[in-house]
Amino acid sequence: MAEALARKGLDLKHQPGFHAIAVICLLLLYAPILVLAVLSFNSGDDLVHFSGLSTQWYGKALANEGFHAAATNTLIISVTSMILSTAVATAAALGTTRTRAWRGQGAAFMVINLPLMVPEIITAVATLSFFSLLASLANINFGIGNLILAHTVFCIPFAYMPIRARLEDMDVTLENAAADLYATPWRAFRRVTLPLLMPGITAGAALAFIVSFDDFTITQLVAGPGQTTLPLFIWSQIRRPITPELNAMCSILLGISILFVLASYLIARKRA
Amino acid sequence: MKTKILALTATAVLALSCSAALADGELHIYNWGDYTNPKLIEKFQKQFNVKVSLDDYDSNETMLAKVRAGNSGYDIVVPSDYTVKIMIDEGLLEKTEPNTMPNFKNMDPRFVDVYWDSGRHYSVPWQFGTTSFSVNTDKYKGPMDTLGVLYNPPEELRGRINMLDDINSVIHGAERYLGFPRCTSDKAQLKQVNDLLEKAKPFWRTFSYDTNVKITSGDVDVTQTWNGMGYRIREKSPAIKFAFTKEIMEAWMDNVSVLKGAKNLENAKLFQNFMMDPENAALASDFARYDNGIAGSHKFLPPEFGNAPEINPPASVKTEFVPPCPPEVLKVYNQIWTNLRK
Repeated sequence: MAEALARKGLDLKHQPGFHAIAVICLLLLYAPILVLAVLSFNSGDDLVHFSGLSTQWYGKALANEGFHAAATNTLIISVTSMILSTAVATAAALGTTRTRAWRGQGAAFMVINLPLMVPEIITAVATLSFFSLLASLANINFGIGNLILAHTVFCIPFAYMPIRARLEDMDVTLENAAADLYATPWRAFRRVTLPLLMPGITAGAALAFIVSFDDFTITQLVAGPGQTTLPLFIWSQIRRPITPELNAMCSILLGISILFVLASYLIARKRA
Repeated sequence: MKTKILALTATAVLALSCSAALADGELHIYNWGDYTNPKLIEKFQKQFNVKVSLDDYDSNETMLAKVRAGNSGYDIVVPSDYTVKIMIDEGLLEKTEPNTMPNFKNMDPRFVDVYWDSGRHYSVPWQFGTTSFSVNTDKYKGPMDTLGVLYNPPEELRGRINMLDDINSVIHGAERYLGFPRCTSDKAQLKQVNDLLEKAKPFWRTFSYDTNVKITSGDVDVTQTWNGMGYRIREKSPAIKFAFTKEIMEAWMDNVSVLKGAKNLENAKLFQNFMMDPENAALASDFARYDNGIAGSHKFLPPEFGNAPEINPPASVKTEFVPPCPPEVLKVYNQIWTNLRK
């Protein structure tokens, strides 16, 4: 965007105060995270005084069984819901862009994206009541499947957005050309649409993963026995005296998120 | 590739959800975070061949929300005193009659006829503690056996005090200092409470639950805190001592309770009985650093903790559990509190 503006002769970088504002924004965004990460290497046991460098809290965090169980749960839930929601979102994006206009298309678009607008706590309470009803009326309980289902549902719009944006940017003539050259619709999709769409799909998948990975509100209400996820686990630790172990756990979480975003960025760049 | 991953995860999920059902007995515990000794769970699992799952909550309200919705899947919860009362009144707890269990004889008689479960028909003590304050005795040498240290501090402590950010602990403390009953609805008394707090406000540096860091970092010289935390603080800085006051002291207790309709009712009862065994209660205390309400458990604790003054108060000390105030009193409390905290 900065480039586009620059071409129009409105170089943002040369506006007065640009640097100061940029630095303040970056500082506000990243300074607290930096403090958190630095203090995770504290050898002392409080959060205020840095007494020396040590990785003991990482050792403690990694040896913590509750942390292990929570990490395993989180990965199972996030990866599964990422795959499911991305698949559904891709289908939905194709259905809302690559078809002749159909009745109710606008409404469908809205319904798909509604979860983005609904306050999370409402989705959370609704999901909780839904599963509770299911359990008491039909005695159905999917165990950890409950959480996966809930996560998949609220991840769909996050995955849908970038995929649809990519589809709208893509040149339809390429698909038409494939069809002209006697490619079956499936073949045209496999060889033309899908490869071109891949950056959108990876971006959508990464978003879905992250959203599921750090979801708190919905998970807290829906999670059943043995289904504590990392955000829930970390939150429940806060009531007790906080040690840098918590910082270490958060830093590990942060590291995973960064790795994931980086990986999806690299994949997207390679494909593009 | 995608289908393969999908199939794989689907199998993994299935395998995971089934594996729990394969053990011959289960017990699902829902307790406060970082409060349950893993050794205790291990011991119970071995002794009864029961597979235990443990999840954490951060407040009574979080736990209540989930339990009220129904079908939470948990068998055991550990609500605080007043929450047990709410849960019994709402019919959320199973009447397991701990008072007929073999280990009931170990329960400290002081904790049998408690206001939230008189005669102990539903719940068993998990941990209990008192709320008072810790003083850095390097900085303050005066008497510390009175709430006056907090509410009418001597010159050298002014501006060096941290209070808990807790409406009940602060206002009940003021009532105790002034010699008024808890949850007083007397307008004149409430006015005096308000005046006392207004007067003390400039002497209080902060309101925070992070009492350990506040005082050990030297930010303050006195902090309102709980006895178990007082022990942890003294472990870190030996000069900082927990105060027992001549005024009656605030006490609280978390209780092992069984949810109505628990799927593993028999195992849950076993766990309640298990927790009344002094050796097991000691295991819980050794981790959470509070006392447990089971007679004879101190001798199973490491001596430096088992003999610590924090969990062995002088005989003269009196404590009380305070039921929640009626709504009309709470309304005035909220006004006083808002006024104090703004």
